Amino acid sequence: MSTTPAVSVKNLTKIFKGSLGKGAFRAVHDVSLTVEAGEVYGLIGPNGSGKSTTMKVILGLLKPTAGETSIFGIPSTEVASRHSVGFLPENPYFYKHLNGRETLHFYGRLCGMNGAKLKSRADEMLALTGLEDAATRRVGGYSKGMLQRLGLAQALIHEPRLLVLDEPTAGVDPAGSRIIRDLIIEFRARGITVLVTSHLLEQMQEVCDRVGIMAHGRMVREGRLEDLIAVENQTEMVLENASPALLAKIDALVKAEGGDTRLLRSGHPRTTLERLFLEATNEPKKS
Amino acid sequence: MSQAAAQTSASFSTPTVRFSPSRVWTLAHATMTQLMRMKILPFLLVLCALVVAMGFGLSVINPEKQLGQLKSFSLGSLQIFSIVIGIVATALLLPKDLEDRTLYTILSKPVPRFDYLLGKFIGVLMLIASGLVIMDAILSLILWMQQSVLFDAAVAQLHQDKQDTPEALAQLSEIVARQGLTWNLHWAVWAIFLKASVVTAVAMIISCIASSTLFTIVITFCITLIGHGEALIRDYFFQPNLHSTAKHVASFVLAAIIPDLTQFDVVDSVTNGQIVPWNAVNDMTGIAALYLGVYLFITHLVFVEKEL
Amino acid sequence: MKRKLQALAVLLIFGVLKLPLEQHVTRDLRRMRLVDEPMNLGTGENMGQMGLAATLGGLRGLVATVFQLQAYVAFTNVDWAQVDKYYNFVNRLQPRNASYWEEASWHMAYNAASYYLYSEDLKPGLRGQLYQAYVKRGIDILTEGLKFLPDNPRLWQKLGDIHWNRSKDFKAAGDAYWNAFQNGGLNFTQRFAAYAYAQSTDPASWQKGYGILKKLYDEKKATPGLIEYLKMLEQNLHIPAAQRIPDAAPVRSTPDPQAGPLK
Repeated sequence: MSTTPAVSVKNLTKIFKGSLGKGAFRAVHDVSLTVEAGEVYGLIGPNGSGKSTTMKVILGLLKPTAGETSIFGIPSTEVASRHSVGFLPENPYFYKHLNGRETLHFYGRLCGMNGAKLKSRADEMLALTGLEDAATRRVGGYSKGMLQRLGLAQALIHEPRLLVLDEPTAGVDPAGSRIIRDLIIEFRARGITVLVTSHLLEQMQEVCDRVGIMAHGRMVREGRLEDLIAVENQTEMVLENASPALLAKIDALVKAEGGDTRLLRSGHPRTTLERLFLEATNEPKKS
Repeated sequence: MSQAAAQTSASFSTPTVRFSPSRVWTLAHATMTQLMRMKILPFLLVLCALVVAMGFGLSVINPEKQLGQLKSFSLGSLQIFSIVIGIVATALLLPKDLEDRTLYTILSKPVPRFDYLLGKFIGVLMLIASGLVIMDAILSLILWMQQSVLFDAAVAQLHQDKQDTPEALAQLSEIVARQGLTWNLHWAVWAIFLKASVVTAVAMIISCIASSTLFTIVITFCITLIGHGEALIRDYFFQPNLHSTAKHVASFVLAAIIPDLTQFDVVDSVTNGQIVPWNAVNDMTGIAALYLGVYLFITHLVFVEKEL
Repeated sequence: MKRKLQALAVLLIFGVLKLPLEQHVTRDLRRMRLVDEPMNLGTGENMGQMGLAATLGGLRGLVATVFQLQAYVAFTNVDWAQVDKYYNFVNRLQPRNASYWEEASWHMAYNAASYYLYSEDLKPGLRGQLYQAYVKRGIDILTEGLKFLPDNPRLWQKLGDIHWNRSKDFKAAGDAYWNAFQNGGLNFTQRFAAYAYAQSTDPASWQKGYGILKKLYDEKKATPGLIEYLKMLEQNLHIPAAQRIPDAAPVRSTPDPQAGPLK
């Protein structure tokens, strides 16, 4: 039984046409990526690297110049694809005159929900995002972290199988961003696929199963986080109960081998995601 | 792998998304409340109330004049405000939703873009309509009260002048009845609503082409002004002896792309006591519906491809 | 891009189809007197006027009311030229509003004309001249208004009033009253037409007046005034004694309408 990927992006290119004599701008160039159902996928890259554009194409807000994107097998250009996706944009605002619960009711009704089902779902989402106490307060008075959580709640209101989160922790204080990180982990536990972009790489490292790194509109690295952050020209042996004599022997053997081989240190040779990110994004731009 | 991940696409049905009146209503209702919160309606009502009060303060020449002036001032100001609100509210809505990213959260739900457009459009029309209904009610009440007061005063004056012949009284009664509260007043308000709807639809098209609020407002105002002269341009185009091809083409293009807004200008005639027959109401409503249908379709064609 | 071109195509195709439809609706509404004809534009002032017409589109009534108020201010300042100017503008904006034509003519033919007639600053000869000029202006205004509202009984009646009271042109007054009656004017306009004809110097008009009055008399709609005029016409037209009315009321001999019924 073959599983359909939650998100499939094939050879996506997006060129924004210039207006009034300005030249065209290629925001995304031949990007392909796949987000498998049930995983948390982090799309990272510096500002202007094309990740938001890619997300918007996936959500059908922009039309691709070339290539195609789909959500659970349905092309993004079809409105039906949005049945399975919930989106939290960066720094979302909602209608200020509505309170938290009314906001969720509004988005629920847009998805065709109503009656007792909508009410209980909205209450469930308010509880999940910890906004129960603020449910009757005007959204205009919400803090940034609360707005972000309300954004998550509205994204989930129609029980989507995929969540697309654009910088969910941008501008949120550490405590608030920890809540959001925990929520993402909770979503994964509930079987919801998450596609997330963030600048907070440490957090991404904590929650993502796989990452794609974009720079200059291209995908420069993609894969399982574990694989990507392993240092490829180094080998890690994990020994248990090794005596100092054994370690000395190993050291002697390495030295005897000669050439480039040498023992750097004993321990866990991991780089950080952050270093990998900087290396990847500072590579010279390909034509 | 989690439970959801194990599910295949085949196990999910993918319902097609159809036009939904309840979704449109949800959007329209939200739009109207959003505009109400912008204090547009209270602003409209206060201004209209001022105008009506001014109508009372005008010179009392005779009952006919007084009632006529009251109607002329009130209907004239309703016309200005309904058009201004139609243009400004429409010009504000799309850019504001885009700026607040509310548009992203809405359109990333299973919401066809046409539903969104129609919801916004109906929301603006609901705002205009509620303003007009309230003002119509107030104006009707004032006219009804004024007409009996003025009639009695005029009869007393005739009596004092010993001119209260049955003929004179009948004429006075006929004048006051024509100038006072009749169905014509409501038809005039309906015509104002129709004109404001057409202008709002034009503003929607412009707003979808250009995201700048100021550009939308300026261009729609220009089209509204030219729309009041479209009949002239059209008459010019239909002139049999128009030899110059350039003039022919120019007048055709202008007349073709701009709606004729004078078709809804029955306000002056109503102020003059002219009767509005059903035929006229049907004509105006029909042509307005046609404009709205086509303009909304054009807006949809522009918006469905719009890069957000 | 494809959709945008489609949108443009729809706009143009609709544009072509809508023109005859708009033409039809506009004709309908103009026929019902609900929508004004485009403003009558002189050749030299085309652009300015067209701009004006467009700018005031739909708000002509409101603007006319404002100008009318300004005319009222000019009237209280006894500035007749200004009154005339403002009403000229009001009437161009609202040609279908009979009361504006009526008011404008009243200001000219009565207020302004009388003002000059009794102005002690002016030489007597000039007074009469200005009086006549303003009465004529009042008549001209009504005549212009009747081009827009040819079947308005009130304007015809007011024209009759001016001819009768101010210029003493009884034949013209009779014609005006008769038109008022023909267009649904009140019953007295019929009698007034006949009274005016009776006072004219034209035997053909006497005949018309006699016809009207005799008919009313035969329909038993005679008033004391009617009988006086009828007897006057019987005399002037040398109606055979057998056909004269039997009433014994005195015969009116004066053509002065201000004199009222004979006692």
